Amino acid sequence: MATAAIPRTGKMTLSLDPALLIPVVGAGILVYLAVLPLLMLFVGSFQAEVAPREFVYTLKNYHAAYASEYTYSTFLNSLIFASGSAGLGFILGTMLAWLTERTNTPLRGIFVPLAVVPLILPGVLESIAWIFLLSPKFGYLNVWLTNLFGLKSPPFNVFSLPGMIWVHSVGQVPLAFLLMVAAFKSMDPSLEESAMMSGANTWQTFRRVTLRLLMPTAGSVLLILFVRTLESFETPALIGIPARIYVYTSEIYLAFNEYPPDYGRGGALAVGLLLLSAVGVWLYTRATKEGKKFQTVTGKAFRPRQFDLGGWRWVGFGFLTGYFIFVVLLPFLVLFWASFLPFFAAPSWDAVQKLSLDNYRYLNGFRPFWDALQNSILLATLTATVAMVLTSLVAWIVYKSRLPGAWILDFLAFVPITIPGIVMGMALILLYVAFPIPIYGTIWVLLIAYVTRFIPYGMRAASGSILQIHSELEEAASASGASWWETFKRVTLPLLRPGLVAGWIYICIVSFREFSTSVLLATGESRVLSILLFTMFEQGQVTVVAAIGVLMIATLLSIVAVFYKFTGKIGIQT
Amino acid sequence: MSWTQRLNFALAAMLATTLILPNLEAQSLDELHKSALKEGGTLNFYATLAQINAEKILPVFEKRFPGIKVNHVDATSDKLVARAVTEARGGKTLGDVLQVPLENVSQAHDQKLLLETTLPESAEYPSGMKGTFWVASDLQFIIAAWNTNLVKKEEEPKQFEDFADPRWKNRLIAEPRDLKMLMGFAKYKFNSDEKAIALWRRIAANNVEFHSGHSQLAELLVAGQAAVCLTCYSHHYPTRIKKGAPVNYMLSEGVASINATAIFKNGPHPNTAMLYARWVASQDGQKAMAQGGRTPAHPKVEPVDKTRTEKIYPISVADIKEYPRYEKIWKEIFKLR
Repeated sequence: MATAAIPRTGKMTLSLDPALLIPVVGAGILVYLAVLPLLMLFVGSFQAEVAPREFVYTLKNYHAAYASEYTYSTFLNSLIFASGSAGLGFILGTMLAWLTERTNTPLRGIFVPLAVVPLILPGVLESIAWIFLLSPKFGYLNVWLTNLFGLKSPPFNVFSLPGMIWVHSVGQVPLAFLLMVAAFKSMDPSLEESAMMSGANTWQTFRRVTLRLLMPTAGSVLLILFVRTLESFETPALIGIPARIYVYTSEIYLAFNEYPPDYGRGGALAVGLLLLSAVGVWLYTRATKEGKKFQTVTGKAFRPRQFDLGGWRWVGFGFLTGYFIFVVLLPFLVLFWASFLPFFAAPSWDAVQKLSLDNYRYLNGFRPFWDALQNSILLATLTATVAMVLTSLVAWIVYKSRLPGAWILDFLAFVPITIPGIVMGMALILLYVAFPIPIYGTIWVLLIAYVTRFIPYGMRAASGSILQIHSELEEAASASGASWWETFKRVTLPLLRPGLVAGWIYICIVSFREFSTSVLLATGESRVLSILLFTMFEQGQVTVVAAIGVLMIATLLSIVAVFYKFTGKIGIQT
Repeated sequence: MSWTQRLNFALAAMLATTLILPNLEAQSLDELHKSALKEGGTLNFYATLAQINAEKILPVFEKRFPGIKVNHVDATSDKLVARAVTEARGGKTLGDVLQVPLENVSQAHDQKLLLETTLPESAEYPSGMKGTFWVASDLQFIIAAWNTNLVKKEEEPKQFEDFADPRWKNRLIAEPRDLKMLMGFAKYKFNSDEKAIALWRRIAANNVEFHSGHSQLAELLVAGQAAVCLTCYSHHYPTRIKKGAPVNYMLSEGVASINATAIFKNGPHPNTAMLYARWVASQDGQKAMAQGGRTPAHPKVEPVDKTRTEKIYPISVADIKEYPRYEKIWKEIFKLR
């Protein structure tokens, strides 16, 4: 590429200057990763197959997707599922956050890390654990409650829309919790204090001041939970499809996986879901910007005041304990218990006698498990590395280079956040199945998918760190004769390290648990753990699945332990 | 030639047929093995074979033909065919062998994805068990099974008519796609659509609960989600019973459907594909299938487990053509989408 003038170096040159080459290459990579698949998807949504492998362009896919007899039920299911999960997740998360951050509930400190633990439980396992607990006839909680109160019929049915909402929302609680903790932490207490001074009691202050101050944050948190539920596929796959309750993601999946595969209709549904999600994300970013009008974080040093709950603090304690036992601990325990059983059975003396290490022994000699584990570890580490290198370069260009048009890179790196996992999987199949480089069906397609999906997370981590570095450090290096690359390598990169490590580990975790993109892309030799879990669960080896789940959780816990050691705190990037 | 000479000659000829002919056959499989190794030694195997069966069957093949590794792409049958169609759409054939229920093989054939070929091994199969692009790999019997904790000894069902009794209300589960049951009953049990439809309507009145996937159904039954599974696979039960699971199954009558092996046209490893297809159709392969817990299709190979029903209602190739009609009725009876 010929460059005429580069303001930063002031040299007139026709050589390849990294200062310009890198932004262009970066933009190229981002377009390739984020825009090209969407283009394929969009084009595909207008194609119809008239004979094997003969296509015409048509609008009828959109008609099939949005004007069929099932359009309404799918739309309604999706809406109820997403708003229900967002609402419930938000309420539980906010309760936890408020009780632990702003009240004098006893022992609240220990509940903070406990509330975040479910983050590492992969969605597939979360759903499986709740199937074990809440299946109408054999679910442990149902059996227990039915026996305890002598009920005629089981109180819960996980294979229902409320069941799906419950399972998905408890998975969302940690996110809601972390976002709300941040909001509570940054709240100026003087407003509440004024209310109290003016004679309001605790409840009145909470309702009329605290709640209202929280409105903008609450709105944006609800929105992000709504969008994430809409995009999710774990619960719709494991509970929705068997119960024949279909939402957008499962419709897209089935359009692709049932005979005859209907890419056109699937594509049209995917474009719709993409638009919905994009609107949601756009509203979210707008809401968080709007939120500045209600700024409560100032330079003033303050500690948010604690509400004295009086006797109610024991109710708060009861709620936290109950939540921890039933929502955090129970799913882990049920998986652990099931992993020692030959087949799923309710706890009884008979079942205790059947407990053995057989499932773990079986896994020891089970090749697909080791292949999948290897793929998952390889992909998690590679994805994290590639994504962090790429995003630290992009973040540097965006925030430091002062190049015109750098915002385009920022925008491109943000685009993937709007792409639901299943839509990404579908787009990548359409792209790579016809691609000249034969990576379709290998783990390299998964690497591309993961890197693309997690670029926005990487950007958060990288840009946060880069913004903190003053340019004078780099300018000093540059003035001392260091080249651009040397400056980046020897000054910028070391300064970025803590942020990058945190981002790296976070991406590692989310890649390791990834399901909704992999479900379409991972097959045979490229299968990853979450997909192995799903297929084996479909094939009825549920107790072996529980054993894999236990090992998977152990692996993730050890990653988190490293994370904790490096950062000393639990953070979140949305 | 004296009679002793003649006897010797006859004996030699018999020996030749018993020893040399199988050798010739084996030799050609071994030759095929050599060509397969030159293709890289991988078989991309698109098959619904469950892990518990695959892990017993595929190693036998890999051991018999060293250097060949089976890359088993496993999913439900419609997913596998959909995948093959998607790949063909991108101008690629990545699968070598397809081994799924016959109706799905025939879908792949409609999409012009399969090789027309007659394997030497298929000569031993009756005409309903092979076609121009497929040969049966095993049989699946759709039967009724029950949880022994939830069904008392004296109420154990003897035939499907029993499930029309109101005492089974809210105690039944089934697979939503098993319209073969309706079809098999209409064509082979009653020889009448009306009678079959009437029976299934009476069963439907007992409020059948539907769950996708036969393996999951079996597992749900073991766990006690329902008393009876109306459309389960017989081969899912012997292993579970051996492990002590509280289930039993009815072998008095059942619908039989064919699982078939076919070779992809223009697959990446054509000789390896041929090697596997011929092996699995051979008596050796069929014995491996039986050992792996399936019901072999070869007329001379007996199943290891008790999976065959006494009365068999076999879904034929011609029947498959009538799928759409029965599917409509089936969905209407159970109000399925």
